[in-house]
Amino acid sequence: MLSSIFEPESVAVIGASNNEIKWGGRILKNLLSGFQGKIYPVNPKEPIVQGLDSYPSVLDIPGTVEMAVVVVPYAIVHSIVEECGKKKVKGLVVITAGFSEAGNESGEIELVSIARKYGMAMIGPNTLGIVNERARLNASIIGRLPRPGYISFITQSGSLGLALAEWTIGTELGLCKVISTGNKAQTDDVDFIEYLSNDPSTGVIAMYIEGIKRGRKFLDAARNISKPIVAIKTGRSSRGAKAVFSHTGSIAGSDEVYSAAFNQAGILRVDTIDELFDAALAFSCQPLPRGNNVAIFSNGGGASIVAADECEKQGINITDLTEETREKIRKVIPEFASFSNPIDTAGTVSFKIYNDSIKALHDDPNVDAIIVIYVHTMISNAMPPAEAVVEMKQKCDREKGKKPIIACWMGGLGTEEGVDLLKSGCIPNYPVPERAVKALSALIKHSEFLEKVKIRKAN
Amino acid sequence: MKILTEPEVKKLLMKYGIPVTRESIANSPVEAYAIASQIGTPVAMKISSPDISHKSDVGGVVLNVGAHEARTTYDRIISQIKKAAPLARIEGILVQQMAPQGHELIIGLKKDAQFGHALMFGIGGIFVEVYKDVSFRVVPIEKTEALDMISQIRGYPILKGIRGRKPANIEAIANVLVSVSQMAEKENIIELDINPLIVNETGAIAVDARAMIEE
Repeated sequence: MLSSIFEPESVAVIGASNNEIKWGGRILKNLLSGFQGKIYPVNPKEPIVQGLDSYPSVLDIPGTVEMAVVVVPYAIVHSIVEECGKKKVKGLVVITAGFSEAGNESGEIELVSIARKYGMAMIGPNTLGIVNERARLNASIIGRLPRPGYISFITQSGSLGLALAEWTIGTELGLCKVISTGNKAQTDDVDFIEYLSNDPSTGVIAMYIEGIKRGRKFLDAARNISKPIVAIKTGRSSRGAKAVFSHTGSIAGSDEVYSAAFNQAGILRVDTIDELFDAALAFSCQPLPRGNNVAIFSNGGGASIVAADECEKQGINITDLTEETREKIRKVIPEFASFSNPIDTAGTVSFKIYNDSIKALHDDPNVDAIIVIYVHTMISNAMPPAEAVVEMKQKCDREKGKKPIIACWMGGLGTEEGVDLLKSGCIPNYPVPERAVKALSALIKHSEFLEKVKIRKAN
Repeated sequence: MKILTEPEVKKLLMKYGIPVTRESIANSPVEAYAIASQIGTPVAMKISSPDISHKSDVGGVVLNVGAHEARTTYDRIISQIKKAAPLARIEGILVQQMAPQGHELIIGLKKDAQFGHALMFGIGGIFVEVYKDVSFRVVPIEKTEALDMISQIRGYPILKGIRGRKPANIEAIANVLVSVSQMAEKENIIELDINPLIVNETGAIAVDARAMIEE
């Protein structure tokens, strides 16, 4: 059971070290910095490790051990895992490397068979660990616990994934679970998706994928989960070098097939790391739109045109506003401004302009989602419009028929306060309009996919 | 692994209810004449050889042949192939109902290590790889998904009928896609091309097809 790994009552670190530069030392330190359950270092050479009594073997630990992090040399890893089985450990995170990633398939098969024999769930081997922020559990080499949030991140690359997880700490992204999959010897993406599907604290799954182990099962798991999955699948350039028999064979490289399969399973495939987390951020704090009709509101014409162009590219409709909405907006913006969609206040900025306009857009039945743009100038202040957005969002969230609001505060220097306010108000904010539109596009695509599934089920 | 000849592939397609052009193999000029007269002229005549995959590249295809030209055309193709591909095994000449006028589309399958089979749909003809106007699905698919994949290609408006042209029979294409999706696993297909599948306002018909299967 993966819950024994992510929500254990007790954790042993086998190969724990006093040296915090060593992985066994780093992971123990990370566990100690937040996890409230029992922690047992195992190290036959040291009586005390990082201030805790250390045990020569996991079998010497007096209490029960629910989960073990295995950070030992390859030569002894099989016997250590065997001991874990005898100790009735339920979950393993095997950091030790030297298995299939190094061409050693047999060593990996043996490891899996030991874990199976004792009914243990195992992540890895060759993983850089896992994090469950909700349990303050950092059984990984990430330096700190991430900010709390609803994004769970599954990564096949240990180093890249964990670097990204650390990078999120400085952003508005909040993570819930981080899983470095390692070699996926016993548990793989299918198990992780199924686990996260039932995990109440996960709202969206972000994945970095190099390859899938069980293709069909993976698609089934993805299809059956209503939570959004956003994924990067690398290796786009690789193509079968086989002699070409058919046109189909020549065009259908593995990448095209991956894209098709992901599409059918409702997985949103993105091209860049930016897009991965931009979409994940929007999913983690905004409702899904009911349709494809967006309203763009901006104090600068250029920015709203950039946003409108990107909408066009993404197939998002710049909707016609009702006469009532146009009238409401006309009242608060200058005479010479544009009160049809995209709305441009012609440079004027105030709390009232943003507040009243967003309220009007939110009430408009033609509008499914709102993109709010603020372009910083020397004569405007980034705070009042941010306050208006956050306040409106809170008001709207209490009402029925929530609509996503995506922000784009442009200008950097001088906008920090406003940006921070948006962050704390759970408004996804992006530095350029294209990124805001792409994030919204992800919400729309997922909404459309769920609708399609609903129709299929009804038939 | 086995490469099927065109008549074998056509038989397979017929088994799944996919319309194919009427045809028969001729082993002599006289037979070619007899078959052409029976099918109704004009006919297409194509070399049939397990060693030649792109028939028109070696001069193995002659279109719009009348009944009384069938005999000379037979001899002409054989001597052309003997020059262009002297080692190719020749099984005869395929005498085939001339394809109707319509859009040339491609429907194909490719076995995929991860997901089973990939189904491809798009603009067909000999420049498939150049235009690459195709969409993919993992099989099996249902009709709604088939219609969806048809609508995804850039050339879809052409199929819908532009500039006063009659729309192609989209339903007929979708039916072929669903049938091909069903045969993927049952027939152990490694690769399959139906190219062209000719589609006009009345229906869709497989004019040429090739397949590689697992034995």
